Amino acid sequence: MMTLFSQFTSMFKNPTSRKKILLIVSGISILSGWFFFGVMEATFTGNALMILAALVAGYEIIQKAWLGLKNRQTNIELLVSIAAIGGLLIGIYWESAAVTFLFLLGGWLESRTLQNTRKTLKNLVELVPETATIVREDETETIPAQEVEKDMLVQVKPGGRIPVDGKVESGESSVDESAITGESIPVDKKQGSKVFAGTINQNGRIFVRAGKAGADTTLAKIIRRVEEAQDAKAPTQRFIERFARWYTPGIVGLSVISFIITQNIELAITLLVIGCPGALVISTPISVITGIGRAAKEGILIKGGEYLENAGKISALAFDKTGTLTQGKPKVTEVFSLQSKKVPDGFEKEVESEITEDEVLYWAGIAESGSEHPLAKAILEEARNRQEVPEADSFQSYTGFGVSAGYLENEILVGNPSFMKEKNIRVDDEALQHIEALSGKGRTVVLVAKNGELIGGLGLFDTIRPDAPSAIRKLREIGIEELVMLTGDTDSTAQSIAEEVGIKTIYSRMFPEDKHKIIEQLKADGHRVAMVGDGINDALALTDADIGIAMGAAGTDVAIESADIALMADDLTKIPEALSISKLTLRNIRQNVVIALITVAALLTGVFAGEVHMAGGMLIHELSVMLVILNGMRLKWMK
Amino acid sequence: MKTLTKTILRSDELNCPSCVNNIESNLNSMEGIEKATVKFNSGKIEVDHNPELVTEDDLLAAVQQSGYSATVSPF
Repeated sequence: MMTLFSQFTSMFKNPTSRKKILLIVSGISILSGWFFFGVMEATFTGNALMILAALVAGYEIIQKAWLGLKNRQTNIELLVSIAAIGGLLIGIYWESAAVTFLFLLGGWLESRTLQNTRKTLKNLVELVPETATIVREDETETIPAQEVEKDMLVQVKPGGRIPVDGKVESGESSVDESAITGESIPVDKKQGSKVFAGTINQNGRIFVRAGKAGADTTLAKIIRRVEEAQDAKAPTQRFIERFARWYTPGIVGLSVISFIITQNIELAITLLVIGCPGALVISTPISVITGIGRAAKEGILIKGGEYLENAGKISALAFDKTGTLTQGKPKVTEVFSLQSKKVPDGFEKEVESEITEDEVLYWAGIAESGSEHPLAKAILEEARNRQEVPEADSFQSYTGFGVSAGYLENEILVGNPSFMKEKNIRVDDEALQHIEALSGKGRTVVLVAKNGELIGGLGLFDTIRPDAPSAIRKLREIGIEELVMLTGDTDSTAQSIAEEVGIKTIYSRMFPEDKHKIIEQLKADGHRVAMVGDGINDALALTDADIGIAMGAAGTDVAIESADIALMADDLTKIPEALSISKLTLRNIRQNVVIALITVAALLTGVFAGEVHMAGGMLIHELSVMLVILNGMRLKWMK
Repeated sequence: MKTLTKTILRSDELNCPSCVNNIESNLNSMEGIEKATVKFNSGKIEVDHNPELVTEDDLLAAVQQSGYSATVSPF
């Protein structure tokens, strides 16, 4: 008996289970009250049960009202308490019971649904394992994850979560990084690969050299960002809070005035019941929490409600080409040899060239082995992919033109066509045809000469990201018509990339300050402008734009903390996704505000027209709050 | 000299922005608490307090007294 009692008191102490007990008791009282009214026609017992129901449900409400008063605050609970007590005093017992019960039920349902909404964040927090297994002199030891220090060696078993940010020291595995990037396809990791806390090691055992732990990890930063974003008030929310601040006192005033004029106490307390701006104050937060949470789950960090609202209004989007539309790494895409000979007399088949394409690359590679130029690196990489490439014996660089090098009595020249002209190398018609064809395709052309004679050439290209064309298409689909590419490249290169990805407006040969001017111009034309960059050399233009979007932010803390929208993955299709989530959220906020305002107007009209009474008023009020919350939650799965 | 600790609690039960005031003022009126902030949207409760005067359990009890369950969170 004692244990049952103590169990009950502990349940009663816990706010969550207490609410449930109060709801059940008062609900049963109301139902049996109706039974006595209707079936038994025992008005006295019925009324007594209604009073009991009102007191039980009211217990929680009055307690909160009292707590508020103690802290010198008037709150919604106070209004409901006054109304319910007033109702009991003037003898409308069933209305009092209904008002308190509905208020409590509504609050409980709202908590439940909001819990569900806040779950995204909770799930993220729970992703980080609490302990880490570290390896010290061949012995393993388990310690709390946040106590792992830099450069400790952490062992992660297959199927385990990685407890820290760091680099793979040994072992190979694939890792599910969806917690960070929102991408569900596992990423292969080997020695030297970066790994993040909270991601799941799939099939191999790996040892990780710890970088950052606990609150310094990328995941912790993401969680902080998401939380700050959710708590940052959107402009609509600020507006509504100003409205709510005078709404409640206004209703109380209205209630007092109408009592003085009409002497109708029931009308006065009914007004108090509908005086809580519940649906209004929750209309914006619920959409913002859900919108930002949904985005975070897909690896899109939006800085806050304000940015969400702004991003929803974007009409123009500018791309900084390198590193966003393209990979940011030029690659050798074509090799041609000039010293191949046709077989005479009717044979159409080409015989083996005297100098093969591989040989062209071989000599170009030797010459470029001493250069640090991005194009040189690309050439050397491609040459080394195909064969062993020795270092040049001597080397000289001509900035903007090319290089000359010596290797075992051979003199090699690698550079653009004007460099060859300068060096008196004959560029024949066949070579000219190759150059024309390649520049037409937007390639950067590099010629190779050996011992005074042209042997061939290379076409280089900064390849576009494979997902670029589909991302551009999707952006058009969601109504962003003004798509602009900014680049420092030459016209023909820019043109061909733009064609390949599907962008019509190009600004080529741009310096950073020009990019800033283009953004200003777009704004002056009345556009809301978003700018996409890799966040490294386009910082100015990113801050200029209404919304700055940084790509591939997973490894760079600055981007996570400063960009208006940070895309954790290097995935262009996340841009249309981010913008469409923003658009959906913006529309959702507007819907909610409209629902809330209509409810308030309808309730006020109804009360003064004598059509809405206490119980009905509370019911409509709670229904409108639920409607707004459920509408907000649609954002979780809406396309 | 007293030393302050920052404790972070989370409650996912907050159901209306005005309950924030209830919890905040209840916490702020306690001795040993320098500053308490409640964020409605994320359900995060940040408290700067003197751990010698107010323990984590005291904080949880105070939030419970305001009508909401909460748990202590590492961040």
